[in-house]
Amino acid sequence: MSSGRRLPPWLMAAPAVLMASFVVLGGLLTAAAQSLGLLPLAGSPSLTLEAYTTVAPDLPSAVGLSLAIASASTIAASAVGFMAALIIVQGRWCGRVVAAVSTLTIPFPHIVGAASVGLLLSDSGVLSRLTGAGEAWPQLVGGPWWFAVIADYSWKESAFIALVVTGALITRSTGYDETAALLGAGRLRRLRHVLLPLSLPALTVSATIVFVYTFGSYEVAWLLGRPSPEPLPVMALRVFSSASLTSRPEAAALAVVTAIVSFGAAFAAFALLRRIPLWR
Amino acid sequence: MAVTLPPGPRTPWTPPRGDGSALRISRTPGRVGRTLLALALAVWFLLPLAPLGLWLFADRWSYPAALPEAWGLDGVRSALAQGAGPAFARSLGLGLAVSAVATPLGALAARALAYHRVPFPAAVNAVLFAPLALPAFAAAFGLNVLLLRLQVPPLAGVILILSVYALPYTTYTMRVAYGSHDLGFEEEARTLGATRWQVLARVHLPLLAPALARSAFLAFLIGWSDYLITLLVGGGAFITVPMLVASAASGTGNDSVVAVLSVTAVLPPLILLLGLGFFARKPPGGLS
Repeated sequence: MSSGRRLPPWLMAAPAVLMASFVVLGGLLTAAAQSLGLLPLAGSPSLTLEAYTTVAPDLPSAVGLSLAIASASTIAASAVGFMAALIIVQGRWCGRVVAAVSTLTIPFPHIVGAASVGLLLSDSGVLSRLTGAGEAWPQLVGGPWWFAVIADYSWKESAFIALVVTGALITRSTGYDETAALLGAGRLRRLRHVLLPLSLPALTVSATIVFVYTFGSYEVAWLLGRPSPEPLPVMALRVFSSASLTSRPEAAALAVVTAIVSFGAAFAAFALLRRIPLWR
Repeated sequence: MAVTLPPGPRTPWTPPRGDGSALRISRTPGRVGRTLLALALAVWFLLPLAPLGLWLFADRWSYPAALPEAWGLDGVRSALAQGAGPAFARSLGLGLAVSAVATPLGALAARALAYHRVPFPAAVNAVLFAPLALPAFAAAFGLNVLLLRLQVPPLAGVILILSVYALPYTTYTMRVAYGSHDLGFEEEARTLGATRWQVLARVHLPLLAPALARSAFLAFLIGWSDYLITLLVGGGAFITVPMLVASAASGTGNDSVVAVLSVTAVLPPLILLLGLGFFARKPPGGLS
């Protein structure tokens, strides 16, 4: 095991770590520098909070809307995904069918999912045609409740949560579940005292990934949402691609705010995770 | 691992009916409920895909009609005219490039983390998994400037960023695989006189092939399905299938083109996924 020709461990991890550091730290620090006026497109650099004060009035509604969309999607996706995982773990034909159809949705790119949900739920969409609702069809795409956006995220991410929770449950749940059943625990009690605790770490991790992703994701809200108010990523992209000289620092300020909220949520979830007894 | 059994009053134990595996079999109401729930879940997962199938070959489907009125290949022709062919090739290349970068790097990092003392393991893990929490547009805004100043070609920048976004998945998949991998096989081969390369090619890679395939698939998926990084960092010249889907879907009146492009964007990963399922069931080759 200890031959001199073996790669030293730090060298094995180095390429991945260097690349990730470049993208994560390089991207964030450059965005931060840009937002603080240190990398202007024209003129000399000067440290200023102007970009932040310019976007500040629109920030509360954008952050609030993005948080609301992400929370609603995460809760719905977790509930459906957890149920799907329970059915899958139970096995039999029910489990196999749910496993097959949920895995089928995993390779769908987000933009394709959004396009398809749009074709399903829009005013002239397939559901509106099939039900013959006509004018009575509610405005689900681009409507006031962001229904299509949340539905798309819930649909796509519930498959992801089902996959992760199934992976955590499938190897060990049967033994505990049968033991509990043998000791006389009914279905609800087994759910509460066996299946839920066993899947809690995986559920927390996957729900956090979903929350952070939906919070910072652009294309679904852009395609299926309404023009105003804007979620944070949609606003950032609009500012980014507008033509004025001050737009880049302002877009960078929005990116920094989004990244702070995302990493904050990830840290909070990790702190929560450490308090779960089954985590490692 | 501490799992506490439920406290509370002891309920009388009734012996299971039927054969031995009947412990967890529920009685009729439960079975009906579970079947209904499974059906509801199947509809939930499949319903959003239904419009793609209906619109795919619909030449004419004016509004109130419940089903397409004329079937044909207009959507396919229109998609091809919009450059679906070259975009398909570009997407495929991007997916393969990201997979080729992120899979070996993730495997190396995972192996180092699994078997060796890496300096600052917490920091290494944090950096490798940080892309999960970094919104793609935030990374793209900053890196656009940085890559431009470093004079990195746009396409190389896209592959670099997407590979980093794939690293959490490849590292995690390989970390789990190394967790249950038995180093004894490699030591045994070494004892029997195999060189390092022989061990790698004849023992290590065959044993880890299923995990490597899973991790390569996930990395391919990141490159194949990306929209925003390609759009913002690619400089607008590198048009992929997701970008065509986005531009068709954001317009109106070309629903069958959207369906054709969407199916184009879904088939390759779906075929790979099916292949993966087949591949994963086979025992790792070379060690019989």
